[in-house]
Amino acid sequence: MSTVAVLKGDVHAEGVGKTIDTTTLLLPTNVRAKPGRCVVLRGPNGSGKTTLLRIIGGLLEPTVGTATIGGVRADERLPSIRAAVGALIGTPTTYRDLTLIDHLVLIDSTWGRDPDTSDARGLELMGQLGIEHLHDRFPHELSSGQQQLFRLALTFSRPATVVLLDEPEQRLDTGKREVVTELIRERARAGATVVMACHDPAMTKSLATSVVDVVPAR
Amino acid sequence: MPTPEHQPASDAPAVLEIDDEDLIGQADWVIGGDAGRKGRRQAWYAAYVATLGAGAYGFPVVQAAVQTTDPAWLRAQLSSPLAVGILGLSIVAVFWSLYSAGNFRGPVVPPLPWIDHVVGTPMDRALTVRRWWRLSVGSTMFAGALTGATLGAGVAFAGLMPWYAAGLAIVIGAAVGRASGALWLWGQVRSWPGPDRGPRLLYRPRDALRALHAESLRTHSANTSTIGGSVLAGNLRTARLQLARPVRHARRARLRASGPFRVIVRRDLLGMRRLPSTLWSGLAFTVIAATVLVWAVVNPAAPMLAITVGLVPAYLGYGAWAEGLRLQADNAGTPSLLGISPRAEASAHLVAPTALMLLALLAGVAIASRVEPVPATVAIQVPLLLAVLTGGHLLAAFRGTPPGAILRSGSGPVLLILWYLSPGLVVIAVGSLGLWLVRSTDTGTMWAIALAVAVVGFGFVRVQSLTDAHRI
Repeated sequence: MSTVAVLKGDVHAEGVGKTIDTTTLLLPTNVRAKPGRCVVLRGPNGSGKTTLLRIIGGLLEPTVGTATIGGVRADERLPSIRAAVGALIGTPTTYRDLTLIDHLVLIDSTWGRDPDTSDARGLELMGQLGIEHLHDRFPHELSSGQQQLFRLALTFSRPATVVLLDEPEQRLDTGKREVVTELIRERARAGATVVMACHDPAMTKSLATSVVDVVPAR
Repeated sequence: MPTPEHQPASDAPAVLEIDDEDLIGQADWVIGGDAGRKGRRQAWYAAYVATLGAGAYGFPVVQAAVQTTDPAWLRAQLSSPLAVGILGLSIVAVFWSLYSAGNFRGPVVPPLPWIDHVVGTPMDRALTVRRWWRLSVGSTMFAGALTGATLGAGVAFAGLMPWYAAGLAIVIGAAVGRASGALWLWGQVRSWPGPDRGPRLLYRPRDALRALHAESLRTHSANTSTIGGSVLAGNLRTARLQLARPVRHARRARLRASGPFRVIVRRDLLGMRRLPSTLWSGLAFTVIAATVLVWAVVNPAAPMLAITVGLVPAYLGYGAWAEGLRLQADNAGTPSLLGISPRAEASAHLVAPTALMLLALLAGVAIASRVEPVPATVAIQVPLLLAVLTGGHLLAAFRGTPPGAILRSGSGPVLLILWYLSPGLVVIAVGSLGLWLVRSTDTGTMWAIALAVAVVGFGFVRVQSLTDAHRI
């Protein structure tokens, strides 16, 4: 048995930037977020929002600056960081031989939650996103919008003190964007720190406690 | 637009006369230029290299294996029902493999421009795609004949069989190759819906070629490009996904929630239930492996080569059941979803394939013990085999990306092949050496255990290093 420190959701990114060779992906940027708050990253395509999220989540080493979560350097290799950060950045790989509900039960079980109520939790989350009727589908049997909702369900099915979302609104219609907005708000109310890149003004207005404008390198 | 003088005089349909051979020749030159002739030369060169390889390596190895074994005992073993059964099973496995391969990549795969501009014309399809069929069926016949020649000549040279048996082996090998080619083509025909796709096409190749749908040819051609590109780039995940069929079995079965470790094991078992092809192919390889390995371990007179040969299907069988491990490696570098450490997750993914392989080996030992006494060293050899297979598959799943040296023009392709084969070669080398050490002395047993532990340990080091490696 091993023990993992439970980190608070304090996100501090101080002057973090990323340059590979001569190409600057992200100019030095500051992000600060406290538990229960939602920081929205705005900026044109290519300004470095995804790079910034990857740095905050410890998936990418910044060239300059430092990023911490709960006072610990953001490095995905640390179990405490992995335990703290739930992220939807890019496309998570799914199991082609598991149905949607199986995925949620699998994730739920690996976090040591009560097995007796695991199915109910998975179905409830799918219900909140309006995809409970798809519970016995395989991932390859979903439309692009349904796949996005499923990815959000995967992200929200694990516990996290920091939630990082890269354009959660993509491929969703207006109604589903409102559903997702409510779900994110619920996570923030429950004490999670949310940092998300978003191009939807309505979602930004509804959720953002602060906005960081990411300036493109050129 | 047809002019009035081209309109038929009566209601009878107009007839268009086409010199297929002439048109194909012209199209061949326009689309491919000199490529056809170059392609044929490359095929002959490949056959030449394969023949040299069989003569230089295959024949001496078979001959040495036969000569280092007691001839009377080996003759009795080779003519036993068990040996005949294994031979029959192996041939059936070859047939099944090629028929299955035909679903994704059949023997007839012309380039896309040829499919669009020539196969789509009214010319006889049996002629427009004939070249690729002849090349493929020629290759399978040649491979069968060469295998027959290598085995037959090796055995005959060692004096175990008369010389004419070598000729017979060549003929049988070529016949198996021809039948495999027919099944391969049949698999391709049946990969697309159609009215007449029955077994008569197996002995009527021209009809089978005419039954090939243009869209099916296009799909197979695209599959070939994608798989070929991913294999050359060392991206096995893309190749695997391209080959994989959509899962539809056991939709109503549910993953039962439980503890973190156990739910991963259950995931793998559910995966096998939903992908029965992996379960059955793993079982087929494992039965062959268990038969050969147990025979080699139980009989002190059995050649060491039998262990080496038996480790090949053992590696493939274990691998068929280790899909969960590969899926974990696919996820390396993505944000963490599971609340379990990478090492613990990998350990959980090893449970199902290891348990199934253990069952197969124990069943083999139990059957063997009814015929003759089983040496006590089996108690060490079986766990040793399992450990080596476990470590080898950790290395295979978490091998990561190939070294940059594969891009070198000269040695690159050889390095890429070695990179692909390296986990299997580790299993075969360490497994063979380990079992030989156990057979030899007590000190050897200690060395064998140390080797197996080292392979497993290195496998887990790869799990951690690949999980961390993506962070740049």
